[in-house]
Amino acid sequence: MLLGPGLASGATLMDVRGATIALAVPPTRIVSLVPSVTELVFALGGEARLVGITDYCDFPPAARRKPSVGGMVAPSLEAIVALRPDVVVATDSGNRQETVDQLRRLGIAVYLVRADRFADVLDVAMRIGQLLGREPAAVALTARLQARVDAVARAVGRRPRPRVLYVVWPEPLIVPGRDAIVTELIQLAGGASITAAEPGDYPRFSIEAAVVRAPEVIVLARHGTDSVPLGRDLWNALTELPAVKTGRVHGVDGGLLHRYGPRVVDGIEHLARLLHPEAFP
Amino acid sequence: MSHAGRLALVLAALAAALLATAAIAVLAGSARIAPGSVAQALAGRADPASTEAVVILSLRLPRIAAAALAGGALAVAGVGFQALTRNPLAEPSVLGVSSGAAFGVVVGQLVTTGGGIVADAVRLTVFGLGGALLAGVAVYLIAAIGGGLPVHTLLLAGVIVGIFFASATTVLTSLLDINRLGGIVHWLLGNISPIAPAPLGVFALLAGLGFALIVGRARQLNLLALGEEAAVQLGVAAERLKLRIFVGAALLTASVVAFAGPIGFVGLVVPHALRLVLGPDNRVLAPAALVAGGAFLLAADTLARTVVAPAELSVGVITSFCGAPVFVYLLRARPRGGL
Repeated sequence: MLLGPGLASGATLMDVRGATIALAVPPTRIVSLVPSVTELVFALGGEARLVGITDYCDFPPAARRKPSVGGMVAPSLEAIVALRPDVVVATDSGNRQETVDQLRRLGIAVYLVRADRFADVLDVAMRIGQLLGREPAAVALTARLQARVDAVARAVGRRPRPRVLYVVWPEPLIVPGRDAIVTELIQLAGGASITAAEPGDYPRFSIEAAVVRAPEVIVLARHGTDSVPLGRDLWNALTELPAVKTGRVHGVDGGLLHRYGPRVVDGIEHLARLLHPEAFP
Repeated sequence: MSHAGRLALVLAALAAALLATAAIAVLAGSARIAPGSVAQALAGRADPASTEAVVILSLRLPRIAAAALAGGALAVAGVGFQALTRNPLAEPSVLGVSSGAAFGVVVGQLVTTGGGIVADAVRLTVFGLGGALLAGVAVYLIAAIGGGLPVHTLLLAGVIVGIFFASATTVLTSLLDINRLGGIVHWLLGNISPIAPAPLGVFALLAGLGFALIVGRARQLNLLALGEEAAVQLGVAAERLKLRIFVGAALLTASVVAFAGPIGFVGLVVPHALRLVLGPDNRVLAPAALVAGGAFLLAADTLARTVVAPAELSVGVITSFCGAPVFVYLLRARPRGGL
């Protein structure tokens, strides 16, 4: 975890890719191109410094009142420039490298983050806390998050782990592989993802292979503002699957589990209740 | 009026249209900048570090230049392919040449890395050119029947070669890391972005070379329109001419695909509109298409970055919206047995 010098008098920061950015003054104008970073900024109480977000930054609801610079893949460069940011926070999983290159060409500092593991979520929280000059808030937040994950681990740790099929997208079937953070979140929630050993982060997967592995729980991600998970009928039609027989096909809010903001822990707790209802009376 | 006089008049009128479009484009954008401040930035009187200067000089102007260049290149490529096949529907995307170029560029991105932005630009264009030539040759071999290129066979060959290379591109991109996929998909839709001066120069040089290959043989292309036999009797080295035009049009297509992705139908819409006004003389058509294509794609790109601001549309989507109806019109209106 990175606990560098504070930014009171300006400092040099190194992002997750090892790029160094020098900030002559503590940044007071921050543009976030990453929904989870937007959530973190609010969770750390630094929203006064947030001057721009993307169309996908929908949490907390107050974030919606910040000016948007467009989508994550194709934000408007001139809208970003017009906000006169001291630093733009971006990710190398979701934003385009070309956007980062263009901003750097214009002399705008870009700070890259990404999280592939739960530990990285806490690391990103510390980094954003440092960027905001709010390290104490970040220390408190990460301690709270870790404590909640530990509590889940105590509740579910000794129970048998049900075989879980997590469906990121139904058609084509996209599942979390060994490099996806969701795979680890399922583990932390007391489950065993049946696709945990698949190569890559979000590979395509064959429905037949999923059926052969006889999932005991099927978790379907909801995306955006959809109120129902996609493809529930597809799975319910496979009546011989253990998960379908026992009625354990559930929808979850993908916004909790696919983003690496502080709500990831809400996602873990939610998953743990689905996988081990008896452990949470 | 003499040919030179007419050409000068046409180019002056089109240049005025291009400048007017550029004036609108430099004033419009998601950053609200007053016309007075735009003028100051353009005159170099704004602080170089100010928002106005950065937006106007580093974002809008390079993007305007890139759009005008790409549009001009695609329209001239359309004129070239149409003269080559004696078919007004021939165009880089219809012929599958854009798909071939896109495949080449993706291969180039996968097998090579590094070397700076200028070297990158040249290398991707070379790979794109390879793909474009491959697709063009494939279309020709499929469609050539008894020394002729029947219109419908040519179109079908173009469609099928386009589908083949699009599938090949999909295979390659599905091997990619999902985090790079978003960028590639975005590029495949056709998007203009501000290009830094050095690579923009490379783009202009490559497109200029393709333009020179075509415009330098405009008179012979007029003779080719009379039929290949007639052209040969009039002293045209038909095979060499066709090869040169093919390479020129492929190079124009490949440079655009490398810098902005496959943007469809510009080469169809612009030459068609120009022929309605100016007639079929390639000596006028080719330079006119360079300027008018620039104005057309610039207008489309200005729409793309303003209609849903601050989000942006892909300009390829807009050109396809314009181009598909024109294609249908040309297909239905084409007189039987004629061109």
